[in-house]
Amino acid sequence: MSTTFSRSLAKKKVMSNDGILVGSVRNIMVDIKSGQVIDLIVMPDDTFDTAGYQADGDRILIPFEAVKDIRDYIVVDRYLSKKQM
Amino acid sequence: MIAMKTQITDLFGLNVYTDRGIFVGEVEDAVINVDGKKIDSIAVGNLSPEIRESKGYKGLRIPYRIIRNVGDIVIIRHIPNAFRSSSTEQE
Repeated sequence: MSTTFSRSLAKKKVMSNDGILVGSVRNIMVDIKSGQVIDLIVMPDDTFDTAGYQADGDRILIPFEAVKDIRDYIVVDRYLSKKQM
Repeated sequence: MIAMKTQITDLFGLNVYTDRGIFVGEVEDAVINVDGKKIDSIAVGNLSPEIRESKGYKGLRIPYRIIRNVGDIVIIRHIPNAFRSSSTEQE
């Protein structure tokens, strides 16, 4: 089981599994009642095309389901990350 | 007051009390289980001196399952014998 402190995720870079830099994590959406992690709130990189992603102002929401692994980068599945919740 | 769906940083700084009204500390961080996609525990700092064996520790990790409610404060289930005052009352 891999666990991580949420503060250590702050400003971590998000990369899709096809190697494209998505942006950096700004916050995490959680469901308080169940403790479920719902979305990553990501500030997209200037070079990143955000079409098809769930947007919240200038940030995008990436469902936590799309997260493959978290090490030096947060790797997200390209298709799952676009799925509308 | 905190909504059901909330940003994790909104939890930081909230005071933690047990359901018997005893102060535990302040939320400093949350530990996320990446595989389970859940909050595993909350890291509580600024600990109350009432907590036994808090000496030498800067913080405490409280499992998410013992959290009762989160609003303006966090309420956790009372842990028997974890607090000096409550354990003397009962014995």
